[in-house]
Amino acid sequence: MSRRGLAWVAVLALVAALATGLVATTSPGRPAAARAASAGQVVTVQRAHAGSATPALKGRIVLLTIGSDSGAPRFGRGGSMESGRADALQLVIIDRARRRGAVVSFPRDSYVPIPGHGTSKINAAMAFGGPRLLVATFERLTGLTIDYYALTSFDGLTDIVNKVGGVQVNVDMNLRDHFAGAFLDRGRQTLRGGQALAYARARKTLPGGDFDRSRHQGQLLLGGLGTFQRQVAEDPTRVMAWLAVMRDEVRTDLPFPELLRLALLATTVPPSHIRNIPVPGAAGSAGGASVVRLQPGAYSLFARLRAGRLS
Amino acid sequence: MAARRNPRLPLIWSAVLLAAVLLAAGCTSGGRSEGGGQAATPTSAPAAPAEPLKVQLVATAKVPPGGLSAGRAARRAAPGLERFLDRYLSAAYVNAAGGEAGWDGLLGLFDAPVRAAARKQLNALSLGEAAPTVTAVRPGRATAKAVVLYGAKRPEAATVRVAFDGTADTAQGSGPVHLRSVLQLLAAGDSWRIAAFDSRTGSAR
Repeated sequence: MSRRGLAWVAVLALVAALATGLVATTSPGRPAAARAASAGQVVTVQRAHAGSATPALKGRIVLLTIGSDSGAPRFGRGGSMESGRADALQLVIIDRARRRGAVVSFPRDSYVPIPGHGTSKINAAMAFGGPRLLVATFERLTGLTIDYYALTSFDGLTDIVNKVGGVQVNVDMNLRDHFAGAFLDRGRQTLRGGQALAYARARKTLPGGDFDRSRHQGQLLLGGLGTFQRQVAEDPTRVMAWLAVMRDEVRTDLPFPELLRLALLATTVPPSHIRNIPVPGAAGSAGGASVVRLQPGAYSLFARLRAGRLS
Repeated sequence: MAARRNPRLPLIWSAVLLAAVLLAAGCTSGGRSEGGGQAATPTSAPAAPAEPLKVQLVATAKVPPGGLSAGRAARRAAPGLERFLDRYLSAAYVNAAGGEAGWDGLLGLFDAPVRAAARKQLNALSLGEAAPTVTAVRPGRATAKAVVLYGAKRPEAATVRVAFDGTADTAQGSGPVHLRSVLQLLAAGDSWRIAAFDSRTGSAR
């Protein structure tokens, strides 16, 4: 081959090589994936997804919440919380699977049998034998198994409400109760600690006396639930803030893991799914003291609760 | 026999060499010519070498009266939380690539009452169903902010906001992966369990 021929061969080879290279990179026969990968393309690997969950807990839990009249130095109440009388008594029953519940409020003067102590006001049971005897009294009275108790004091309730920034409650009447220091107008409002305690204690000037008071205590619990939910929806770290307050201000036999799971569950239980049920009773007397005698309706209520009917 | 030097040979060899170089170049960068008009964004940057996953955690603590200071409690809790989040992100992304590893390792990090819900929502918690198509995940930014509830001697619970950004390689190319989660954690021995979650993944931030 002549030199000129060789030169043309080289040029042709160059053109062929260029053409081959281009064809190799654009050939439809080459897998698109491989082509794209070699290109270093940015692709959508995963579409957007969102999800959330709180603990799926089974069965029912029954919690006795107790407000002691002792162990509150700021209110001049000495002694320990556990040795005092139980002035606020609620059974909080949560159907964890259905996310429904009831707050059953008991008048503190309910005249009931106390194991080993005859018949007396229910609030005396804790003074006789601490929270465990109070739990036993409730179990005997209602036929329900009480899983746990939670106990606080005047100081504790005041601090809880103040530390969480107040609790929103729909106050259901105008209150001018000098005895409890409750001066509140009817309507939805955020109560500070002292106001919440006064609302929970006011009795003497209320038309329904002890019944109105126990209903107000249930309203406070439900108001606390609503406030908790609103705060956590805005800032999930508030769960830890509330748990810290409970740890510091409440004594309970509820194990911490169960407390956390319940708190997380509580973020998804609408307050409207929890009924505030005052136990039916009538004013009476026993041994010269004013008491509340539970009415037949109370025992049918307990039967419904035992059957799991919370509404 | 004495070799005859052909004066055109250097020219010919140069042409052949050039052709070879161009061929090679055509094989490795031809994609550049495909970028225009396609949905995928062309990029000339080579894949960054994989950095090891490292969660940057900022923790605060709520302590009981008379216990540790909040600062000390947060410092004590932080290493364990970082380890846990490293495990989570490794199981959810780095080790999930290819899909062979399955999800048992990830689901084992959840508290029993929330595990079934986590299994149903893996797409919101991890690479999820994209995992089999992913050949590798290169971790990028991984940050977390934690509020720790400290007990008398040890952490009991924590709320953690996690943000993870990475790059996932697939046969089709590479793409960003993101996780934004709020995890409610329960202390379990020396480690943690996820007791509740609110989580988002995917390309949307």
